[in-house]
Amino acid sequence: MNQLSPNLSMQPLAMDNQFRYTDEELIARFQEGDEQAYTELVNRYRDKLITFVYRFVNEFEKAEDIVQDTMFKLYTHKHYYRNIAKFSTWIYTIAGNLAKTELRKRGTRKEIRISQMGPEDRDYELPSVAPDTDEVAQSEYIEKKIQAAIQKLPLHFRTVTILRDIQELSYEEISKIVNVPLGTVKSRINRARIQLRKELIDLK
Amino acid sequence: MDRYQFEDAISAYLENELSLSERQAFDTYMNANPDAKELVDAIRLTMKSMKNLPVIKTSDNFILNLSKRIEFEKNRPSKKIVKRPSKSLFGFTPLYAGLMTVLVASFITVGINLWPINEESVDIAPTFMGNISEAPKPASMLPTLPADSKTMLTAANVDTADSTIDKKKKYKLDDKVKFVKDQH
Repeated sequence: MNQLSPNLSMQPLAMDNQFRYTDEELIARFQEGDEQAYTELVNRYRDKLITFVYRFVNEFEKAEDIVQDTMFKLYTHKHYYRNIAKFSTWIYTIAGNLAKTELRKRGTRKEIRISQMGPEDRDYELPSVAPDTDEVAQSEYIEKKIQAAIQKLPLHFRTVTILRDIQELSYEEISKIVNVPLGTVKSRINRARIQLRKELIDLK
Repeated sequence: MDRYQFEDAISAYLENELSLSERQAFDTYMNANPDAKELVDAIRLTMKSMKNLPVIKTSDNFILNLSKRIEFEKNRPSKKIVKRPSKSLFGFTPLYAGLMTVLVASFITVGINLWPINEESVDIAPTFMGNISEAPKPASMLPTLPADSKTMLTAANVDTADSTIDKKKKYKLDDKVKFVKDQH
């Protein structure tokens, strides 16, 4: 067990409480000073957020830093949450904005786009032949292919398709997170799926 | 249904968001175009594969690092932790609202003091209605003022509405004021 500071216990709330409180109730409790509610929110969202951010930025360490920043912002700016939107919308918006900022920084540091790289330059390595014997290796192969295909999507397509097809959020929630009309979200997701299909043409 | 309409409706079809008539039109197009059916099946497979991607987990040190960071910020002299945002007046915090009010009041005061109040300084040339080519009239033909005109002009210059004029009048109060003391 990690050594924890005395003031900020990272023990989750008791099981019965875990199912009793909604996210909105937890953030309300945290705003009133209950740090256990914060712990519970962190535990509920850290894996969801790192999945979203990792699929977005394609670098685990950087994704974890971004999720840390998101959780830290949740701690320091807890009073900025207003109970007019779902908590999940708010936290995904923070994480998404931080991830986009990271990609912008990366863009200024390195002007070469990933699509312009040769295969030898890419951070991820795809097996040259799809393994068909080992199931684990097969699923890893598919994951890497999909991850590589996602990275080729434009950012506005990438965000919505991750939120919809991996995070399984509703269209309405995605619309609020990315702050674009519902119809635009649906259109972007549809186009992103068609584009992904073109990239994953050999996926069976 | 044409190809563009078909492609636009793929997601709605896969997520059962089409109306019955739209769904029938979609199915008709798909059955008539084998490549369209292939595309829909492929997209369905991609969506399924994406849904089955493994959940990424944070590292074991995530919580520890986060709690260390929060403790560090708590103990820092200049804390980043934002307290409850103060109430605002028309979007300004009380401090900025106060400063803005003082600034506006100062501006109005200075503006009033600098505003020109003496409009008589504006020189307007008198209009001449006569013929400039006419010879000047002799002095005997000029209209003469009546004898008491000087007195009249002086009287006309007195503005009775002007409260600044000394209106001290000498009242004769002889025998009109009696002191109460005298009644005894």
